[in-house]
Amino acid sequence: MSNYYNMPKLPTENSPKVEIFVDDKAVMVPGDTNLLEALKAVGIETPHVCYHPYLPVSGNCRQCLVEQEGPRGRMLVISCYTPVAPGMKVYTPASSARVKNARKATQEFMLVNHPLDCPICDKAGECTLQENYMEAGQNEGRMRPEYGKNYHGNPEHQFIDAKGQLRGGKRVDIGPRIFLDEERCVQCDRCVRFMRSIAGDEQLQLAARADHTYITTFPGEKLDHEYDLCVTDVCPTGAMTAKYFRFQKRVWLLSHTPTVSMDDSLGANIWLDHADGKIYRMMPRCNPEVNRSWISNTTRLACLEFGKNRLPAIDMSAIKLEGKVAIVAGGECTIEDLAAIKMLAEKTGAEVFGGTFKKVGSPDGIAMSGDPMANRAGFKLMGLADDNLADLAKRASEFQTVIIVNNDVIGEGKGAADALKKIPNRIVLGAFDNETAKMATVAFGINHWSEVQGTMVNSLNMIQKLNAAPTAPDANLQPAYAVLSALAGTQFTSAFEAFKKAGEYASVLAGLSYDTIKSSGKLLEGGNA
Amino acid sequence: MARVIKQKPMNWVERLYVFECLRGLMTTLKHAARGLFRYEELPTISYPEGQPEIRNTYRAKHRLMLRPDGTPRCVACGMCAAACPAHCIFIEGTQSEDGRIEKRVMRFDIDHLTCVFCGLCVEACPVDALRMDTKKISFEHRTRDEFVAHLSDLIDWNPADYPDDAQSQVAPGGTKNKQALETWGLEVK
Amino acid sequence: MEFITNAVMEVVNSKTWIEWLITIAKFALCFVPVCYILLLIPMERRGAGFMQDRQGPNRSYIKIPYFGKIRALGYIQNMCDGTKLFFKELHTPTGANKIIYNLAPIIPFALTFLVPCVMPWFGTMTFTFGDSVVSIPGSIIDSDVGVLLLFGISSLSAYGAVLAGWASKSKFAYLGSLRTTAMTVSYEVCQGLCLMGLLLLVGSFNLTDIVNWQEHHVWGIVAQPVAFICFLIATIAETGRAPFDVAEGEPELVAGYHTEYGAMQFGFFYMGEYAHIGICSLLISTLFLGGYAVPFVTTETMQANMGITLTALCGVLAFLALAFLHMIYRYSRKLAASKQSNKAVILQEYKLYKLVAWVATLVFVAGAIASYMFVNPGSTIVNGAPVYGIGVALGTAVIHLLVLLAKSVIFCWVWIWVRWTLPRFRYDHVMHLGWKIILNIALLNLVVTAIIAKLVGGN
Repeated sequence: MSNYYNMPKLPTENSPKVEIFVDDKAVMVPGDTNLLEALKAVGIETPHVCYHPYLPVSGNCRQCLVEQEGPRGRMLVISCYTPVAPGMKVYTPASSARVKNARKATQEFMLVNHPLDCPICDKAGECTLQENYMEAGQNEGRMRPEYGKNYHGNPEHQFIDAKGQLRGGKRVDIGPRIFLDEERCVQCDRCVRFMRSIAGDEQLQLAARADHTYITTFPGEKLDHEYDLCVTDVCPTGAMTAKYFRFQKRVWLLSHTPTVSMDDSLGANIWLDHADGKIYRMMPRCNPEVNRSWISNTTRLACLEFGKNRLPAIDMSAIKLEGKVAIVAGGECTIEDLAAIKMLAEKTGAEVFGGTFKKVGSPDGIAMSGDPMANRAGFKLMGLADDNLADLAKRASEFQTVIIVNNDVIGEGKGAADALKKIPNRIVLGAFDNETAKMATVAFGINHWSEVQGTMVNSLNMIQKLNAAPTAPDANLQPAYAVLSALAGTQFTSAFEAFKKAGEYASVLAGLSYDTIKSSGKLLEGGNA
Repeated sequence: MARVIKQKPMNWVERLYVFECLRGLMTTLKHAARGLFRYEELPTISYPEGQPEIRNTYRAKHRLMLRPDGTPRCVACGMCAAACPAHCIFIEGTQSEDGRIEKRVMRFDIDHLTCVFCGLCVEACPVDALRMDTKKISFEHRTRDEFVAHLSDLIDWNPADYPDDAQSQVAPGGTKNKQALETWGLEVK
Repeated sequence: MEFITNAVMEVVNSKTWIEWLITIAKFALCFVPVCYILLLIPMERRGAGFMQDRQGPNRSYIKIPYFGKIRALGYIQNMCDGTKLFFKELHTPTGANKIIYNLAPIIPFALTFLVPCVMPWFGTMTFTFGDSVVSIPGSIIDSDVGVLLLFGISSLSAYGAVLAGWASKSKFAYLGSLRTTAMTVSYEVCQGLCLMGLLLLVGSFNLTDIVNWQEHHVWGIVAQPVAFICFLIATIAETGRAPFDVAEGEPELVAGYHTEYGAMQFGFFYMGEYAHIGICSLLISTLFLGGYAVPFVTTETMQANMGITLTALCGVLAFLALAFLHMIYRYSRKLAASKQSNKAVILQEYKLYKLVAWVATLVFVAGAIASYMFVNPGSTIVNGAPVYGIGVALGTAVIHLLVLLAKSVIFCWVWIWVRWTLPRFRYDHVMHLGWKIILNIALLNLVVTAIIAKLVGGN
């Protein structure tokens, strides 16, 4: 199915450098990539609509035109599908009016039947068409106003609007999570290529030809896939819009926090988009090593629940440690939390249990490792048990106190409930008021992972940074490491203090700081994941 | 570059100050005499009782224009909120029930205590939904909350107050406006 | 004991009872400057309004039956403001010298009662009473050094500012008081020198003599025009009013020496300032505008034709009342045609003014006719001059007083007029003007006057 044969080759650090001439100036560019990426590497942005670095090249939008000196003179070529060759001569709009006019004409042509309903479009503000349009600067339409729009797409969705124009394809319910607006579509077929080549399930197709082309599903079927919300990300226009974010917020009002999803042990890189202390959506953050530009629906839609059903912050004095203590750590614990747990265990002689009752699957090759215990590699790195919850259930009668951190033990494994209830003092540190919290004697609200700074080690043994989004429902909530370290006697006042403590337990972390870990993570040497 | 305005140098009469003083005194005397002997010709109006004449181009309280079926024209695009230098406009949109209209406004609040009445929101509106021609220039309320004009407040206006504006006449007729209903393809009763 | 009784009886017997009565009654004239305060405050506030094309404060009212809300042309507003000041809490700043702080505002206000003592309010009253001819001077203290006394008392008001500024324990007040002192001292020198030319011509420090000289020769403003202008400027500066109000320059000093004062203590400063203006305008009219002298008519002529004089006076007053009526009617018509929502209330209020003005017109007209027909007093010749009865003497005094007040009110207006027209001088400019310009002009004027007087008069 997938046509990986024309996947774009992206430049890497090890790409060979070749000399090409851009606008008659010699520049050194990566030699093993296409012209568009090569120009980008030297700081020349080329507008493009259909090209996407992680999708096969289709070259249908013609927006990325540049001029190339060839045997038959200077010709317009699409930079996304032209490989870099040493000594080639390329002309951009900076020197070539022909390129400029060609791009402008392409842009104008693309917008002929585009409804230009940017005011009500959720994509407005981050729309490729808008950006290109602003760059091309074709500010005055040359269409006669009385001619108006003539949409010739799906005949079933056509209608005549109040001005008498032929319009159509608004708000097509294409799947359970996505609305399609056929009118806004520019037929770049990114979504088709995504479903075909990345998702591996060819649910979308381009139907009809030429002016009549429109995106559709197979008859009687809906767009329904674990990764189908990624088509709203790749869509360069507002044609594909996610229902969960539809009309919720104008995108320019959102603030973005780069962080890492703790839903899965791959640790998909994400942007948390929030405004006024509320998370509105989660967007993939490009990391070529981890999740490229994709995140799964499970990961993405979880963000809507982050602010709901939360445990309140209570006074620290409610927590009393009596007798033999067991600490149960969950996969959402960051390295910092684990450092605090380990410190507390050393202080009180507690035994640390870790793991999950959830089913551990296998990697799907896109953006999921299938392991719901996100920081499993971190547990191993810190020398903590990562799969011995069954032990705890067996030996529950040995303990008088159990501290459950970020682990919905009861909710996930019903069998453990009876065993845990034997322990008289049950303290739960968690973000949510879940079943585990309900059976607790003390339920202590802490910050969710989206609200804390920290690090995690993913299944590829890369250490990645989490950043705190200012979306905590209660300002009194503390991160888990702060609470646990306070119980241990010396409270960490910052995440980095906890990270330094973690360095004492795991030597591979010792030399690191948050500054030396890049936003795309850092591969740990000699890891044991 | 700084702009240099060259002033005419004063002649010696002007520099003596006394004569220029007298000229100034004559000016004020003229005004004082008008106030004293022709009180009714004072340009000042006795404000709350006497109201100034306000033109419809004056940037007064906002109103939201309506479609022929009586719903607000606003599509909740947030352009006005984006243009607002005082950040006093709060908009939430939602899905419209009308099939031809994609997005409708659910909440439209203008905080008139924060508003600077610059009119940029009116300029920004792509569908001519927001106007500031109500001629309402005085805002008096008991609490701060009451200064926030809500959607219901903004669409509550009388077409009789805007006799010169054809759109105001057509728009709010609602189900009573035959012509408007025809334009919208709705059933005429 | 007997000695004291004799001495007292000697003093008592030195005058007839009518002389005593009038002499004691003259003390009422001490209150004239205080009345000027009541006049000047509305004049200033509404005058400023008119100059700036405003209406001025005119909102407060008292309610009376039938006519409704009476605003008395805005006068009620000033009464309300005064009442407010009166009932406000007195506050003394921490660290202030309490005694001096509380004493200081009294000084300028108290002086307003002292200064009028030397002012000639009317010409010397000479009338036959019984067999004797009685002569009563027009001022409370008919001093030969009247001018000097007047300047001396009037300069004392600087103490109010100095003490207030020092006792307030505030740098703004302190700076303000320093400036006030410097300016008052500087401009008093100018005032004195400006006056010297006139005194040279008159040959007396007695204010009554100065007025008499003007009545029989020529007004001071004609004899000494340069001195008049310099004296006017110096007096405005000495009262500390705009454009010379650097002592209370708001941009720099908050409010000058009375920054820390509130309530009626501030009110005393405020009233002291206005009373000072009133006194200064009385002084200027006395020195340069012929004082109580009726223009173009000598006292003797006036007394000889008392009936016609009274007729003319009543005629003028009737004309003023009619003019007022005209304005009221014109404004009422305009108001009735307007859309103002409270016009019915205002028109009802104006009915009262119309009524009062009509009654006044009728009274004045009747008075004019009556005095023309019936007032024709007889006289006896004493020392070659006619002397009339007490009625004529009192009438003359009243006319003199009215003329003096009218002249001084014009000068009060000059104060207000100048204040709302000219921008404030910078402090060094004020000093420059005082010491380097006005002082020199005054000196030059004195020399020239002396030379001319020597050449022409020869005495």
